[in-house]
Amino acid sequence: MRIVTGKHLQRRTFLKGVGAAIALPFLDAMHPALAAPSASAAPVRIAFAYIPNGVILKDWKPAKEGRDYEFTRILKPLEPHREVFSILSGLDHRNANALGDGGGDHARAGACYLTGVHPKKTSGSDIHAGISADQVAALEVGKNTRFPSLELGCDDSRVVGGCDSGYSCAYTNSISWRTPTTPMPPEINPRVVFERLFGSEDLNLDPATRARRAANRISVLDLVQDDTAQLTGKLGSADRRKIDEYLTAVREIETRIESAEKDNRQINPGLDKPSGIPATFDEYLTLMFDLQLAAFRTDLTRISTIVLGREGSRRVYPEIGVPDPHHPLSHHRNQADPIEKLTKINTYHVGILANYIGRLKSTPDGDGSLLDHTLFCYASAISDGNQHTHEDLPVLLAGRGNGSVKPGRHIVYPKGTRMTNLYMTMLDHVGVHPEFIGDSDGKLDGLSV
Amino acid sequence: MRLLPLLLVALPTLAAPPGPQSFEVKLKPFLVKNCYACHSAALKTADVNLERYQKESDILADPATWDKVVEMLKTNQMPPKAVPHPPEADVKAAVAWVENSFERAELATPPNAGKVTARRLNRTEYNNTVRDLFGVALRPADDFPEDDSGYGFDNIGDVLSLSPVLMEKYLSSAEKISRAALFGPDQLKPAGERFQPPGRRGVQPKSATDYDETGLSLGSALHVNYHFPADGEYVFRATCDGRRPGVGGADMAFWLDGKLLGVRHIEANDLEGQTREVRVPVTTGEHLVSATFYKVFERLPASFGGLNPVEPPANPGGRGGRGGRGGQPTPPPQPPPNLTPEELAQFQQRIQARQQAAAPQRGPAGLQPPPGKVDFLFIWGPFDQPKGPSPESVKKIFTCGGPDADLTPACERKIVTDLATKAYRRPATTKEIDKLVHLADAAQARGNSAKDSLALSLQAMLVSPNFLFRIERQPEAATAANYRINQYELASRLSYFIWASMPDAELMRCAAQQTLRTPAVLSAQVARMLKDPKAHALVEDFGGQWLETRALESVKPDGRKFGEFDDHLRMLMRQETELFLESVMREDRSVIDLLNGKYTFLNERLAKFYGIPGVKGEEFRKVDLTGTPRGGVWTQASVLTVSSYATRTSPVLRGKWILENILNAPPPPPPPNVPTLDDSKVGQSVSLRQQLEAHRKDAVCASCHSRMDPLGLGLENFDAIGAWRAKDGQIPIDASGTLPDGRTFNGPDGLREILTSQRDAFAECVVDKLLTYALGRGLERYDRRTVREIAKKASVNNYRFSSVVSEIVKSLPFEQRQGEKPQS
Repeated sequence: MRIVTGKHLQRRTFLKGVGAAIALPFLDAMHPALAAPSASAAPVRIAFAYIPNGVILKDWKPAKEGRDYEFTRILKPLEPHREVFSILSGLDHRNANALGDGGGDHARAGACYLTGVHPKKTSGSDIHAGISADQVAALEVGKNTRFPSLELGCDDSRVVGGCDSGYSCAYTNSISWRTPTTPMPPEINPRVVFERLFGSEDLNLDPATRARRAANRISVLDLVQDDTAQLTGKLGSADRRKIDEYLTAVREIETRIESAEKDNRQINPGLDKPSGIPATFDEYLTLMFDLQLAAFRTDLTRISTIVLGREGSRRVYPEIGVPDPHHPLSHHRNQADPIEKLTKINTYHVGILANYIGRLKSTPDGDGSLLDHTLFCYASAISDGNQHTHEDLPVLLAGRGNGSVKPGRHIVYPKGTRMTNLYMTMLDHVGVHPEFIGDSDGKLDGLSV
Repeated sequence: MRLLPLLLVALPTLAAPPGPQSFEVKLKPFLVKNCYACHSAALKTADVNLERYQKESDILADPATWDKVVEMLKTNQMPPKAVPHPPEADVKAAVAWVENSFERAELATPPNAGKVTARRLNRTEYNNTVRDLFGVALRPADDFPEDDSGYGFDNIGDVLSLSPVLMEKYLSSAEKISRAALFGPDQLKPAGERFQPPGRRGVQPKSATDYDETGLSLGSALHVNYHFPADGEYVFRATCDGRRPGVGGADMAFWLDGKLLGVRHIEANDLEGQTREVRVPVTTGEHLVSATFYKVFERLPASFGGLNPVEPPANPGGRGGRGGRGGQPTPPPQPPPNLTPEELAQFQQRIQARQQAAAPQRGPAGLQPPPGKVDFLFIWGPFDQPKGPSPESVKKIFTCGGPDADLTPACERKIVTDLATKAYRRPATTKEIDKLVHLADAAQARGNSAKDSLALSLQAMLVSPNFLFRIERQPEAATAANYRINQYELASRLSYFIWASMPDAELMRCAAQQTLRTPAVLSAQVARMLKDPKAHALVEDFGGQWLETRALESVKPDGRKFGEFDDHLRMLMRQETELFLESVMREDRSVIDLLNGKYTFLNERLAKFYGIPGVKGEEFRKVDLTGTPRGGVWTQASVLTVSSYATRTSPVLRGKWILENILNAPPPPPPPNVPTLDDSKVGQSVSLRQQLEAHRKDAVCASCHSRMDPLGLGLENFDAIGAWRAKDGQIPIDASGTLPDGRTFNGPDGLREILTSQRDAFAECVVDKLLTYALGRGLERYDRRTVREIAKKASVNNYRFSSVVSEIVKSLPFEQRQGEKPQS
């Protein structure tokens, strides 16, 4: 049943005009909405993970470059997976520096990680970052899957008090940004993630009922867009921006409903429905990783971000003998005791990551494993948490990306190489070619040889 | 935006307005003598050049800098200690001149009502509105992404964004709500989850006759915070482990949110695998489920000293094998023959261990409860969900016809009209109603049932921007002047301020009749709204964010140092503060009580935690705090916990909390590269106070820390979860403080006196925060005089809560709005 009517298309073009105030990097002309994914090769998945408050670099960075580096203490849990990931040293996020704005490195780091921009310093009304790399990819790649992207997290949003030194909490709550003013807050409750991905009762309905339901939804969305057109004439400028955001979201949902209509497979989640947030961090993060894996495996999405902890995270890790909150510890003042505790936290995180990499490796996908078809970036936008530096960031890149990268090495990039160049390269491998992302000035060499 | 901090020096204002020469006469000499030495054009110390202000208009053009100048002078931070200090009278005169100047300039400009950006309903408001609109208590917004907050609150229009994920959830929750409203809640398949949280120490009872009989605070209890997906009955099934001494068996008690559900007896002393359950109705949302051992010192052998002792029967010569059936009368068992010396030693050891377990154990702080714990808890449901739409929903929706009758077109139209008017919070236009009716009719033509089609138009209402956003329209001929918002918009502002929900029928009626602005009607409505149970939203949402106690949900105090802290205590702490705020609101007391009222609300466990005797039983009741160091929200465990770290107190965090939330004088953010405390030494060789001295040594650090640290140090007797302590580790607490203006105090009582002397500043602080929450925007410079006026008017009534709220409602920015010239 054709849902896309002529009138409908006209409105969509009109909406594009309304939302045009966003400075989008140049993209290839958008593919038609109903294109099917290429059936020949398994699609490449892209994922970004974020760790807060930096790492203890001396226990992170291996001494040697190349293929036969020795594993440092923090990266040791990844030893069984040496062949499938690379350590990238020397990448910078220059825009996370103060650049005259004073304090607030955590907010800047969080906002800059995937956008590469210097966020506007404000504590409320006029937040302005950039479009994050995952969303640039999702705008293209996301058309082929039911969910353009999946944002996950393991840390509560900051809901009381201020955040970082005059920066809005929006900058630390989300690493993903749809537009420079629309953050994409992560979902932190595993139950809710599961329900969103697999809970739709529609899968069990007969096609006629499903089609009727979809038509109902589209008719509702048509009506509210009409409602909105009635409104915009009489609104002040700030109000109009809010309503524009609403309209953009409505249009997005319409597109998703249409692509969902094409996708009528029986999907087996492969895991039980979680009831909530697990008690220990290990279980929590593992569960969130598993949900990401399930979403990738069933091709419900190909782009995902996961925040292990918000920038400035105060999480405590009593299970590994660190009852102190993370952020104050990260200001270690070069003292042995906090450094030891921080190293334990960093190693703990990498350990859970290593288990996930193992599961990605052993999940069959097309003609190989899920890991073969994934590019997974695990990094922080702060290198030394004590000094709040944003140069020589800790970055891991796991997976083979359908053969587009050759992992298994420690690559040291020259001083001043931009982290955003890595994103340009990753996006290149999924067929997305923006002119730039944030402060990028080219692509990253050396990953494919 | 913050008010000029009135922290420590109260200053008079000059009587006669200065003449045009006044800058040269009144201020410049002061600046030349005391400031220009550093803050000149040449030196520009701290990037401040005061020489460039040569006339009054220069000063008025740069309020930000002069705010700082006044602050520095008032708090004695400038001139710095190193230079000779000018006489107090000169400082006062200089400050008064500057403040006067700004005040006159403000008064000369027309008042500005400010603009509030269209506010999308936040999660709380969405849940409440849906409940009031359709009678559906599903709380779907609990699953929405969290709202970003600004200026301390999560209802700020400019800050609330709408991502595609949120839109998706709006659409699916609209479907769920409209189905539940018309057809009844989705019948879920009962599902279960097993919980075995990590063990905890719990509290040690003082004696076998004076202890927590409920068992909620003991280490044997098990607490689970569970999200119940729907109204219905649920089974709580608890399984135990361990062995109680004697033969009296045990009693297990089940609790929901701290209220007793039932007690089940276990007639066995070997508790391993013993399982008992209850089945009770529960409402949707998060609740605390607890399973405990009830009256744990009863029905034990007499040697324990508890009530109702039960002695095991005499059993001479029998096998003393199973531990727990031991006790004085039974002689120790004989070892089997032919044991090697090692085996014999092991045998004796085992017998000794069993005998020890069978006798009362003494721990460091008191008596150990006898062994036995709840090992895991299974929660299963929902069962017996209500079927069909609730009577509430039927009443709210079917303003004609009924859920089972056929829907005539006239009735369909009436239902849609009435609901759309309520949903959009103003009369729905004919066009809007036409579209909604057409939507339903077209759906029916596609093969949907009549009721499904009606559900569809309800869904459309719930995702319309007119529902999701509170939009205030400009008048036709808009200019940049203030204009009065219309009566419906006023009704919405009122109801979302006091109830965090939509206007009710009576408010809508007043708006329709255009009487809401009549002073008598307006004050009657405000009084009515404050009495309504829905006003609890002010306590929970405003209070929880102002005092930052919402953060209580996610704190994780170190289990080794604060073993007593568990989900149950967390819940009690929150309840104390909510009941306290609620009492001020419901009894219409002065808001100053929040600062220094000598009373609070406690139950037995919380009173014991505070060390306050004479409070028995689970229920909360009002407790007089005379003679104790507590009194005021800043001495409650909830606040003291959220302003601490997981492992220790932080005088800096607590000082900052007081400056921000009590005095509305927040310190600026810290500079980068600040080193931290050496935690390992705190409490051992070096006190926290001594470590913080480093703040005061450096002049740059001291400029802020001399304000913050003393306030927090005055609270050091309260540990990181708010309990009283005389020592921190090895070191006795020194809770004295010296403020920058030289005043000293000792401990919370002294601090209370200091804060009470600032009661007007506190009242203005409350007004500032409440106005921000009420408007849904940050306050600007031009709002300062509004805040001052509101506080002044409320002070006539001794700052009674209803006065503060009324004056806010009557104020310019609340009932008016600044216009905007339309852009072409």
